[in-house]
This record gives sequence, C-alpha cells and structure tokens, in this order.
Amino acid sequence: MLREDLGLTGSKRGCDLGTCGCCTVLLDGVPTLSCLTLAKLAEGREITTIEGIAPPGGLHPVQKAFVEKGATQCGFCTPGFIMTAVAFLRDHPSPTREEISRAVSGNLCRCTGYVKILDAIEAASRAMAREGASSA
Amino acid sequence: MTPAASGEAPAVPHRLIGARVPLVDASLKVTGRAEYTDDLRRPNLLVGRILKSVHPHARIRKIDVTEARKVPGVAAVLTGDRYPRTFGVLPMTHDETALAVDRVRYIGEGVVAVAAVDEETCERAFARIRVEYEPLPVYDDPKVSRNPVAVKIHERALRDTNLQKEVFQHFGDLPGAWRAAAHSVRVSARYAGVTHAFTEPHAVLAEYSPDGRLTVWSATQVPHYLHRALSEVLDLPMHRIRVIKPEVGGGFGGKSDPFPHEIACAALAMETGRPVKIVFDRDDVFYTNHGRHPTWNTVGIAADALGRFTALDVEALLDGGAWSSFGTVTTYYNGVLAMGPYQFPNFRYHGARAYTNHPPSGAMRAHGGTNIRYSVEVAVDMLAEEMGWDPTELRLRNFLPPHSTTVNEFRITSNSVRQCLLAARERSGWREKFRALPYGQGIGIACGFYISGSNSPIHFTPKFPQCTVHLKVDMDGGVTVHCGAADIGQGSKTILAQVVGEVLGIPLDRIRIAAVDSDTAPIDIGSYSSRVTFMMGNAAKRAAEDLRRQLVQAASDLTGYARESLECGGDRIYVRHRPQVGVSFLEAVHRAMEHTGALHASGSYESAPMGGTFKGARAGTAPAYSFSAYAAEVEVDVETGFVRVRKVWAGFDCGRPLNPQSVEGQIEGSIHMGLGQLLSESLNYRGPRLMNPSLLDYKIVMPQDMPEVECLLVGEDDPEGPFGAKEAGEGPLIPVLPAVGNALYDALGVRFLDLPITPDKVLRALEEKERREGRLSKPAPPAVMPVPAGGTDHAPR
Amino acid sequence: MHLDEFQLHQPESLPEAISLAREFAGQFDYLAGGTDLLPNYKMHLNPRPHLISLDAIPELHRFSPDQGDLGAMVRLREMEGSAGLASRYPAVAQAAREVATPLVRASGTLGGNLLVETRCFFFNQSYFWRQSLGFCLKADGDRCHVVPQKEKCYATFSGDLAPALMALDARVRLMGPEGTREIPLTDLYPRDGDGIRRTSLRAGEVLEGVTLPPPVQGLRSIYLKLRVRPSYDFPELGVAVALCQDGGRVSHLRVALGGLEMVPRRMDALTDPLVGSQLTGESLRALGEAIRSAVRPVHNTFLAPDYRRKMTAVLVRRAVRSLTEGS
Ligand SMILES: Cc1cc2nc3c(=O)[nH]c(=O)nc-3n(C[C@H](O)[C@H](O)[C@H](O)COP(=O)(O)OP(=O)(O)OC[C@H]3O[C@@H](n4cnc5c(N)ncnc54)[C@H](O)[C@@H]3O)c2cc1C
Ligand code: SF4
Repeated sequence: MLREDLGLTGSKRGCDLGTCGCCTVLLDGVPTLSCLTLAKLAEGREITTIEGIAPPGGLHPVQKAFVEKGATQCGFCTPGFIMTAVAFLRDHPSPTREEISRAVSGNLCRCTGYVKILDAIEAASRAMAREGASSA
Repeated sequence: MTPAASGEAPAVPHRLIGARVPLVDASLKVTGRAEYTDDLRRPNLLVGRILKSVHPHARIRKIDVTEARKVPGVAAVLTGDRYPRTFGVLPMTHDETALAVDRVRYIGEGVVAVAAVDEETCERAFARIRVEYEPLPVYDDPKVSRNPVAVKIHERALRDTNLQKEVFQHFGDLPGAWRAAAHSVRVSARYAGVTHAFTEPHAVLAEYSPDGRLTVWSATQVPHYLHRALSEVLDLPMHRIRVIKPEVGGGFGGKSDPFPHEIACAALAMETGRPVKIVFDRDDVFYTNHGRHPTWNTVGIAADALGRFTALDVEALLDGGAWSSFGTVTTYYNGVLAMGPYQFPNFRYHGARAYTNHPPSGAMRAHGGTNIRYSVEVAVDMLAEEMGWDPTELRLRNFLPPHSTTVNEFRITSNSVRQCLLAARERSGWREKFRALPYGQGIGIACGFYISGSNSPIHFTPKFPQCTVHLKVDMDGGVTVHCGAADIGQGSKTILAQVVGEVLGIPLDRIRIAAVDSDTAPIDIGSYSSRVTFMMGNAAKRAAEDLRRQLVQAASDLTGYARESLECGGDRIYVRHRPQVGVSFLEAVHRAMEHTGALHASGSYESAPMGGTFKGARAGTAPAYSFSAYAAEVEVDVETGFVRVRKVWAGFDCGRPLNPQSVEGQIEGSIHMGLGQLLSESLNYRGPRLMNPSLLDYKIVMPQDMPEVECLLVGEDDPEGPFGAKEAGEGPLIPVLPAVGNALYDALGVRFLDLPITPDKVLRALEEKERREGRLSKPAPPAVMPVPAGGTDHAPR
Repeated sequence: MHLDEFQLHQPESLPEAISLAREFAGQFDYLAGGTDLLPNYKMHLNPRPHLISLDAIPELHRFSPDQGDLGAMVRLREMEGSAGLASRYPAVAQAAREVATPLVRASGTLGGNLLVETRCFFFNQSYFWRQSLGFCLKADGDRCHVVPQKEKCYATFSGDLAPALMALDARVRLMGPEGTREIPLTDLYPRDGDGIRRTSLRAGEVLEGVTLPPPVQGLRSIYLKLRVRPSYDFPELGVAVALCQDGGRVSHLRVALGGLEMVPRRMDALTDPLVGSQLTGESLRALGEAIRSAVRPVHNTFLAPDYRRKMTAVLVRRAVRSLTEGS
C-alpha cells in the first residue's frame, strides 16, 4: 500500500511475515511492521516513513550517525533500523549498549554484524543529547 | 593499529586512501532514496510469478496451460519448451534452463512463468495449470549419488553415478610422508548447508521495446554473466540487451549466478511487449538457495618430531543439489584452499560433488574455503595437543613465508599471517587464558587465508582484462566513473571514488560513480571471489593515472613547469617545491579539453599468468591472498548447552586497508555470518524437503548474541594491490568458525565436528563425555607455552 | 505474498462485535494485533472471509495492573514497559518482554497471545510447501505428519504469556452470543484438546480480558524461556513459577509450562505435595525430574523433544532457585 499506491518505496519488503523488520514505519510514533498492518486499520493514524524523518535537505541525527559510522552497507535493512532507532532514542535518550541491541532485535541485518549499527545509535544518542543541551 | 609503512614513501601522499570514508551512497541509503529493483516503476507494468515444482524429481509428462491463458488479466504463460537452451555460470557445466524442460529436479524449481496484471491473477492462473508428473527416484544423499544410480539427475553426471565433478590431486609423496611421521591426526567433520540470507529477495524487471532491444534491471552481483546468459538463451545478440544493476540488498555469492527467473522474466517481457517484474517471496529465495554446500570432509595432518607439518591429506564430499552452478570451482576449492597459511611438502586431495534433488548449492562468502578450514584448524589444534605444544606455537612453526610458492604452485606474495597471529595472541591475553579459564569457559585460535581475486576469470577470453574502468570528464570538472563491478553493499563504489580521488588529488564530491549499465560500463567479471578491490582498484588506479598524465600535461602547458615537478592534490595541480604555484583542477581540465571537447581515460587490470600446468592448476591461484588469525573467547552454559562468544580478536591482513571502516564492517559482518553457520544456521532437509524456508526458522544471529569484535589490521602493503590493498570481503569469515570451535574444546574438552553446534548437540556431547570419563573437565595444558610477550617466537624456517 | 480477499469489520463495542460474530458464525476470525493471524492468512492457513477487528472497542484496551485488570487488546509493548506489572506480577512482565521482537510486540496483544495458533513445522509453511508434502489435518488435509498413526493434531502451544498468567492464578473473561462467563485461565485450554481443538472458547466468544488476583504477601514469580535466539523465536519451552515461602517453608507453589505440548499446563499435582515442606536441593531436583517425565513434547519444533524435556527439569530448577535465593 505505502509502496505501491503512495510510491513511498523507502520502506522495504524483505519477507512479508514480520521476520525481518525491513518494512518498519512509525504508526502514531511507534515502530510497527507495515507488512502485518492492515491499511484500513491505520486510517486516521499518523504514519511516518523513512521519507518523513529528516528536515528538508538535511539528515536526522540518527541518519547522520548511520552515514558516519558505516552502519549501512547494502542499505536494504537501513530504513527499518533507522525508524526503530529514531523512536527508541526519543523514548530512551541515553541507553546502554545492551538496551540498544534489544531495541533493534526485531530488525535483521546481514551485512554489518550489527556492530556499527549499535555504534551509530550510541553516537546518535550522544549527538542528540549535545544538541538538546545546546538548544536548551 | 596501522599497517607498517613499506619501502619508499608513495609518490602521492595518501589522503583518501586509508581514511575512514563513509560510503559514497550512504546518504541515499539512510533516507530510503537508494533504488533497489523492487522500487522501480514502469508504466503498464505486469507482475510475473513462477509456478514451482512440488516434486523433488519427476518427469514432466504434460503441461496444460490452456485454461490459465484464458484467465482475465493474464498476459502470457510460458513453459520451458519455449527457451530450452541450457545455461549456467560456468561455461563447462551448462545444465540449467529458464523453466523446467521435461524434468524437474528439486522442490521449488520453476515450471511455468505467468505474467498478469497482479499477483492474485497469477495465482488464479496457476490454479488452472495442469502438470502431469511421473515421479522418479529421489536422491537426497551425496553418499548415494556417488555410487551407481538407477536414474541420473543429469546426463552429464560422471559414469553411471550422480557425481557432477571429481578431483584427484597428489603432490609429493603422501603415503611416504605419512609413514615417516612422528605425529599425525585425522578429523572427519560434517557441515549442514547454509545460505546467504541477504535481506533483499531476488528481483528482476525486464522490458522489451519495439526497436528490438531488451532492458533488464536485476539484483545481481554479476551483470555481465546475466548479460551473456540472456543472450545465449533468448538468442539475442548482446548489443541488443542492456543490463542495469540497481542497488542490491546484499549478495554474499547468492546473486552471482545468472538465474532462471531473470531469463524467464525477460522472456515474458518479450512475449507481452510490456514491462514485467518478478520479485521473490522469501521462501522462493530459500528454494533458489545456491548457498554453501552441505559437506562431509576428512583432514589428516602429519608432522615430524620437530613439529613441522609434513603432509596434508584431504577428502571432501559435497552435496551440490540439482545443478552445477559454481560446483566445479567449489570442488577444487575444498581441497586446494586447505593448505592455506601453512607449508605442506606433501599434499593429496580427493574431492567429489554430487548432484542430488536438493535446491542447488553454489557460491557463498568465503566460497570453498570455510568448511575445509574448520577441519584443518581443528586438526592443527588436535595435533598440538597430541604433541603437548601450545597451538599458537605449532602454527608459528609452520606458516608459509611471504614470497614463496606452495607445493601446488600457488604464488604467495605479501603474507602477514605471523603478525596476525601474534597480534591476536597478544591482545587476547592468550597466555593467561589458554587452558586456564574455569570449566565452561575457553579461548581458541585459528588462522585462514583466501584468494584476493580468482586469477582465472570464469569466462576466459584470452587477452581480455578482468576489469576495465573508464573515466569521463566534462566541462563541469566532474569525473564520471564507468565500471562494471557491482556494488552489492560491500562498498566498491566508495573504493572506486577513493582511488580515483587519491590519484587526481580531488575531493570525493567531484566524482560520480555511474550506475552499472551495460550500455556504458565496460565489462567486469563481477563481484565474487573477493576480486573487486584488487582488480577494479588497479584498473581504476590506472585509468586515473592516465587521466592525471593528460591533466599534468595541461598544467605544465599552463605553468611552464616540467611535468615531473608537478603534483596533484587539494583540487589543484601544483609545483612540488613551490606549492603556491599551480592551477586549479578545473583550469587543467579546461586546458586539456581545448579543441577536443573531450577528456577521457581508461585503465584495465589483467592478472599475471600463474599456476602450474597440471589439471586444475588454475583453481585457487590469485594475484594475492589475504591472511588471518582470530582468537575467540567463549562461555558455555553447561546445563543447557548454550554457547556465548564473548569476544573475537580478529587479526587480519588485507594489505593496506584502503578504508579501515569498511574493512572493519566486512570483518564484523563476516563474524556474524560465520557464527551463524557455526552455532545456529542450517538448511534443514528431511529427505529432499527444506523444512525451514523462512527467516523465522533459519536462525541468523541476533544483535544480543554478537560478541565484541576487536579488529587488528596488521597487513603490509601488497606489492601488486592498488595502494598495497588486498581483499577483505570473504577471508574474514573463515577463521571465526574454527577459532570458536577450538575455544569450545578449551572450555569443555569436547571436539565438535557436526555443524551447526546447537545447544542440544553441546549437551549431548557433554553427557557422553561424562558417561565416558566419569566427570567433566578441561583438557590438560600443553607442555610448550608461548614465550612471554615481547620475547621472540620461533624463527621461520 | 498476498492475502485472500476478506471483509474487514470494525465494531466499536462488544455487543456489536458479538452480533457480527453471530451473523458470520463459522465464517470469521477475530483480529487483534494480527501478528499471528496475518502471517497465517498469507500462508493460506485456514483463512476466513470475514475479519472482525477488536481494535476500535475502547474497553478492551484498558490496562490497570494495579487492579489486576487487563483488557484483551493491551499491547505487549505496553505490558513489558509497565512498572506496575513488573512489580506486582513479574513473571507476566518478563513473559511479555520475551515474546517475538519489539516490532511484533508493538502490535501483538495479550488476547492474541493467549489464543495464538498452535505451531508445527509441517503447518507453519506456505501453501506451496504444504501442497508439496501433502496437506495435514490442521489445514486442508486429513493426516498428521508428526504422529501419522493417530487422527489427532500435535501442534505445539507456543504462547509465552499463558504459563506466566496461569502460574499467577489468572482468570479470563469471555463474552459471546450465549453470554458472559469468567473461568480460570487453566480451563481455557482443555486437557483433552489437541492442536486443533486448542481452547474451550465457545462459538463467537471474545476473550474480553484477564484478571489477576492481588499478589499475596511475599509472592514471587518468574518466567524463563528456552529458544535458540534471544529474539524472534517462539518458545521451545516456557517455564513460569510462582512461589511463596513462609519461614523457609513453601506456602504456595505453582509451576506452569508452555511451548511443550498442545496446550499450556500447570503442574499442580506435582507441586501441591511440596506445600508445607522445606525446599532442598534434593526436593528441587526431584520436582524437576518429575515434571520432566510428565511432559510429552513431539518433534514439530526446532529443538528436539528429548532436549526440551531435559531443559524442562533444568529451567524449573533454575526458576525456583532464583526465587528462593534472594528471598
Ligand atoms: C516473527 C514472529 C515471532 C513471534 N514470536 C512469538 C513468541 O516468541 N512468543 C509468542 O507467544 N508469540 C510469538 N509470535 C506470535 C504473536 O505475535 C504473538 O503471540 C502475539 O501476542 C499475538 O497477538 P495478536 O494480537 O497479534 O494476535 P492476532 O494475530 O490478532 O490473533 C491471534 C489469534 O487469536 C485470536 N484472537 C485474538 N484476540 C482475540 C480476542 N480478544 N478474542 C478472541 N479471539 C482473539 C485471533 O482470532 C487469532 O486466531 C510471533 C509472531 C511473529 C510474526
Ligand atoms: S501435528 Fe500433525 S496435524 Fe498437527 S499441524 Fe503438525 S502435521 Fe499437522
């Protein structure tokens, strides 16, 4: 639906069965598998896709960290991870590494061994804390 | 850790090379803007689907598609007899067809292709297709297939068996060495099949235009082989076919064959005149497989009284599944890659690959080098124990020196395996830990090596380079790089940009990497055998050097300084000794284009002739090899059999790491994949049937189970690699399996020789050990411990 | 993969839902989070032409762990994050945390988890796969590939919450065309059921919610799960224990198991005799062994049944020990 009818192809289709996390979007702010969500039940709710998290022309701090830390290789799982991480950091601004790995444990990545993904989410949390501090 | 500098200072100071450069396409990937095949849209697009065989082995008596053709919304229905020509990745073993012809050979093989307005309509058409099958005997065990059989799976199988390939090699005098040995061990091990499990399912989009041209976009690692196969099977000249590779969501070898569905999709497009897209469901990906071969192997190692290896004896039996795929290469690799970082004066190999009615096996990351390495490294460990030696010492004593030749005539150039081992040993605290941790905890070490680019290209056209790169510069001063090498996530585009930028002294934003498009890109033989950095890197470097020559000439014309005194850097061309004098890159470009309007350059790479003259001598030869030694520390829950890998110290020699961040990413990803094969991943077959074709039941490692990884990049510059680099894409997978396997022995006193080592197997082994020995205890420490850190180790022979 | 066509109904009240259930009797499934049902539908496992979504019924979303009152549509994500649940009913919060993945738990619900479809590696397969082997009793066929002699399905109950809630004496409220009733959760899973007749729900009944009795003074509980990976995987075994001790003697002990047989079950007959006694290493070992020999897993999940039985003894011991330590 997102991909075919709205042309928002950022969320990927990896398995259709809830087993890879490539299709993660935010449904009212909560990371959700679009493959197991009926479009009709999402009516009237706010859906955020990877296309919708960055400021125009820029990158969200999580995206920036994924670029800088080498957390994306083939990139197919990346949008899903980023959606998960964005919501997670919103709710847990200074997580431990263990909490991060639990948080992303519904997203599969086959390239990075997760190491640099965890690095990036850690780095993003620090960057966001700094940003928050300087803008406060 | 930084690589040791080699010899003279390089002509160009390294600025982009060796830097932690983010992937040039990362910002597209993190924003969802990178386009994968399934993201492509064309007007009037049809959906293609393939009806699969429900039989593992059967003759097709009849296929009736008349009713299916009548289903409203169906545009084409295609059966195998329309394009019966065989193809395959290796020219010698063509045994695949776009759709089954007369016979099906595994559950999941394509039988009928349908193009329709949507998926539901395709399914409706499938329901109206009648296929009459006559079941044939099913072969699901290579041990049966190697003997005389009633029905051959392929006519081309050897003799009256179902063997696809058999290899015998013998160097030196193995029986003699064995008789004279002071010590010897023999290990037999079994390996379940594993698969790539990339996140992007296979996808292909094809369009045939009224001018008789076919365009195919596909998630492929090797656009060139697809191009050839399309041409051969569809009987279209290559120049009327255009193959484009969009972003690819991981390959690991699983997208390097030309695939039947790609050809079927193109055929549907030709038949309908409309664009057709086929995207696999996840279970289709599992049936297509082409993963690592289920393997049975035996390794014998003999040594003299001084601990020098004298003989290596290897046997391997591979379950090839229904097709040949890369199998001939795999069969060789399982033997010739056994010797690896050690010197063996005598070597014997008997390898065989059998056809079975399983989905085809093929090439998977560290192709042919993984399973055999586990057996060899476990055998080395056992030999050390038998001799009462520390296993690191035994390895140090037997390493191949740099710049040497193996008994089967591999040319070894740069080789830092010794430094890898010493680094891993030092950093891991080996001395304090080995045989000294409490029961249930252990440390292990293992080495590896891998080809840095197969020396013999698969499609061997004499005097044709393995890789060519074109550079094109226009008025705008942007450098466009055309190259056929497929970036499948490993970062080869970034390496291209780094190399070109380095040579020309320009920033990355001047460089555009053109999409791999057969209309504009020169041929490259693809992303496999870890050849890209090495071969593409060299070709790109030469192309950039050619361009640099032209620009330096222009700068010389403009400044009046001799070419030899000019240097490229900082987006300028300047006088080495008076850096303030010079011209901008753009000024040089404009000067060089005067009166021609064009500025381009090409470079290519062709590896030197190498290898012996015996049969199969080219297999495993490469212009360079990566080397490795990993230490791993484990912890086992002895009541449940669960294994936790705490940390891996990854000593790796990839020559000069062009982009350390990318190299680390390859090592970490390799460790993830290797641990999966070791501990939890397997293609579970019951007879011919795959029991777990899903990402829920095929168990790849979770983030919580990833160990801490410390990368120790200790290589020296390789004399022939671009800027001294060698591969880091596949080799890093190899040592992690045996390092952990040996650590498990240290922890538990049990050798695990049946992969994957799932908790139930661990527990069963512990129970057996307890029954046998009356208690559970660690193995005894060796008599020979390594000398303290800072001391010297055994001198090389 | 595609879903066969179905009609989606979105009632906004329970009576409305139940009248729809009456109207489409035998032709519908209730839809909660859909994380179990939709994958099964995509694999064409017994899809029905009508889906009655429970999402728009406000009272099913209530969540008052302090009152021990949980609506059926409470998301697992909410349960795992609840400090109230974790402090009063730790086993339940732990079990919720162990289900599937964070993404699945964002949609998956309490009710759906209690009524999750039983699993079997001959059943949880695509239509094509099942067609290739021959369909089984549980969907489209007439035989069982696990125990071929019997006319019975052995699919394994693989929900995580049921054992945790059972160990804490939860009751469930059921509403249907024939009225409302409240039964102990243990009775939701009939002892004589099988992988197909897996609950005692009557036609059209909605699981409305779960009630938990207030924890008695000193009650401790825990849930331990056996699975290959720390995420994604369904339980190969789930052990929940609730224990209360009084001066070193057991005053209350419940052990409940899931992931092993066609239904989850509580092992009262084996634990009741321990009430009043002192727990020793010996009695604990004996309890573990007794439970191990009482369970009968079959081979239709990833890990072999003999291993899962062995682990039953280990996890029971570990669970009890971890509750007695620290107390
Ligand atoms: C990848 C993956 C991994 C999983 N791993 C686990 C796991 O580890 N442990 C585990 O327990 N589960 C697991 N699940 C299954 C499932 O996600 C959970 O059990 C979840 O809690 C189900 O809740 P739901 O709301 O999504 O149920 P649904 O899918 O909506 O419904 C499940 C069933 O219950 C019925 N139903 C639901 N609510 C009611 C109600 N209130 N009244 C009457 N009938 C109702 C439905 O008709 C359906 O038959 C996994 C699922 C996936 C996709
Ligand atoms: S236990 Fe038997 S009947 Fe039940 S799902 Fe499995 S194979 Fe089918």
